[in-house]
Parts: sequence; C-alpha cells; structure tokens
Amino acid sequence: MHEGAITRQIVDSVLKEASNRKAKKVIEVDLLIGSLTFLNPEQVKFWYEILTKDTFIEGSKLSIRGSEAVVRCTKCNYEGSFKYVDDPALHVSMPTMQCPKCEGMVEIVSGKDCIIKSIRMSI
Amino acid sequence: MSKVSENIVKAEEGEVFDIELEKDVLEANRKLAEKNRELLKDKAITAIDVMGSIGAGKTSLIANLVQLLRKNYRIAVFKGDLTTTIDAEIIKRYGVEVVAINTGKECHLDSNLVMKALQKLNLDAIDLLLIENVGNLICPAEFPLGSDRRVVVVSVTEGPYMVIKHPFIFMDADVVVINKADLAKAMQVDMHKLKNDVKKVNPEAKVVFTNCRSGEGVSAVSKALDL
Ligand SMILES: Nc1nc2c(ncn2[C@@H]2O[C@H](COP(=O)(O)OP(=O)(O)O)[C@@H](O)[C@H]2O)c(=O)[nH]1
Ligand SMILES: [Mg+2]
Ligand SMILES: [Zn+2]
Repeated sequence: MHEGAITRQIVDSVLKEASNRKAKKVIEVDLLIGSLTFLNPEQVKFWYEILTKDTFIEGSKLSIRGSEAVVRCTKCNYEGSFKYVDDPALHVSMPTMQCPKCEGMVEIVSGKDCIIKSIRMSI
Repeated sequence: MSKVSENIVKAEEGEVFDIELEKDVLEANRKLAEKNRELLKDKAITAIDVMGSIGAGKTSLIANLVQLLRKNYRIAVFKGDLTTTIDAEIIKRYGVEVVAINTGKECHLDSNLVMKALQKLNLDAIDLLLIENVGNLICPAEFPLGSDRRVVVVSVTEGPYMVIKHPFIFMDADVVVINKADLAKAMQVDMHKLKNDVKKVNPEAKVVFTNCRSGEGVSAVSKALDL
C-alpha cells in the first residue's frame, strides 16, 4: 500500500545518481525486493512509470527480482530458509520462527530489504 | 519498450555503464528508528507500538492500559491517524498527554514522524509511551519506529484466518492480543486455534485474550509487556 512512497525514494535515488554522473540516459534499474516486505512488484512498476514521467529517466526499464528471506538460528547457527509448518485441517503451511534443524529460534538476516542493486546508464 | 533500450545499448556501446549501488531504500527508516530507540533509552522511556486493523481495538486497549497504569507511570500516547482526533479526545480524558500524528494519506507511522512527535514532549516527564499505529495490519510491520515492544491486536470479528493469511506480521510481535473475546461465540471463531496459529509462527510471542469493553484480560496484557 505504500508502494507510492517507496517508489518515490527509488526514483529520487536514481535521479540523483544519474545526474551526479552526468548520465544522458538511464537504461535500466535493477531492483531487489525481499520476500518479507509487503511491496507488490507490479505496483512498484506502475508507480515507477508514473513518477519518472517528464524526467530524464522516463522510459527507463525497472527490472525487479525477488529475494528469499534468510534466517539464522540463535542456537545451532543454521542459516537458510524458514521452516514451514502445515495446518492439516486447512492444507496450508505457515513459516515459523522455529529452527528447521533444532528447537532453537531463528532471527531474520535478510528479506526485509528493497535494494537498488545497479543502474545501467549511458554517459 | 525493452526492445528499444536493447537497441540503444548496442548503438552506444562503450558509453554504457553499470553503476553498482546496493542502496536499501528501507534502510533510512530503520536507521532513524535506531536513533529513536537510543533517545528513548537515554530518557528511560519504555515505548510500545500497538498495531492492528481498523476497529481491532487498539484505542480501547490503550485506554484500558492508561487507566490501569497511570498510577505507576507517567504516560504519553501517540495517536497515528489519518485525520480525526476522536480517539485522542477519548484518551485525553484520563489526563495523559496525547500527541496526534497525522499521517495524511500514508498507511503507517514511520520513524521520522515519531521523531517529530517526540520533540513535542517533555521527555523527562514521561516514562511510558504508548503508540497507536495507523489502522492497518500490513504496512506498519515494515516500518519499525524504535519502540521496545510491539503489540499486534487482532479481534475475533476479523475471522479465523488472520494469522494463517498474514503470518509475517506476527513474527515481530512480542505480544499478540486477541480481542473481542465476548464476540467469539457469535463469530464462531475458536480463539484457541488463533492462539495456536500465532504460537506456530512465533513460539516466543505472548498471546492474551481480552475484552476491551469490559477490561477483562487487560492486566494480563500489562503483565505480558512487563509493565
Ligand atoms: N464487543 C466488543 N467491542 C469492542 C471490544 N474492543 C473494542 N470494541 C469496540 O470496537 C470498536 C473499535 O474499537 P477501537 O478501539 O476504536 O479500535 P481501533 O480502530 O483499533 O482503535 C469500538 O466501538 C469499541 O468499543 C471488545 O473487546 N468487545
Ligand atoms: Mg483507534
Ligand atoms: Zn537451530
């Protein structure tokens, strides 16, 4: 729901970076969205198009990749994906803070991020 | 559109650069949240962020907590809302300081707004800060404010699948309040199933059943918050 505000920050960063480097044109922006954010890639793209309109980065392509969350166990140091537990009655599974390897608890290492990885520009 | 840019890449080869940026746009909020956390710690203020959907019972819970705790704590309340001050008036009646934080169109409080609100208070005259986040279950989870503890309020009127549908919201919660216990039967919602769902996702979260109309369970919430 806050894709508009977040995308404004993305656009501002790209504009700043591109003009600092005296870019003539921005070709592509590579964005990584963590699976623990609540950002919908389609909406980010939608806002990107609107917010870049009439700027010199209008028409640049926004490529979005998702990144899986990484957790670490505070007890056995397991590092990797969440463990999922099933709800047998509903046939759904839910992620849990329990370690997949031991009875310890995990903490979130990454997945809550929205990273501008790189910008392709012509100078 | 992508075809056009591919052509341009070829036409201007040699002039095209890939700038590695690695910039996290959510980091600014997190950094500011850390600043708030330090300031609050410095002033020995315990801050609690209360999140939940519109109508879940955030204001009712805070009003109850204020009544229960005002003898022992000097309390201030931040009230994040789109525009109205109805809730603020309710809480002011108990004689605590209320700062309304108007988020305009935003769906969540952020650490910058909280920082500004902190500047409106005499921080030396307060030891407990209760923050009512904007009524929205999803977005506030993405924006830490710098509080010590996070409370998520869900009510049985939101149905039996709140936790299953939104597990990630509950991962950061220290206390989960399942409110409107008086309506569980009518809603045919099994509160224990809801509690189990929370425990599955986050075994360390403390889960409390409340009726914020009657005040039942509120002292258990206070205890779960170590207040
Ligand atoms: N029946 C019942 N109603 C409640 C309870 N808690 C809150 N309410 C009512 O639910 C409505 C919304 O509560 P409020 O605290 O304003 O929710 P908020 O939007 O999360 O701040 C109000 O009319 C409250 O009186 C409860 O435990 N039982
Ligand atoms: Mg309210
Ligand atoms: Zn482990």
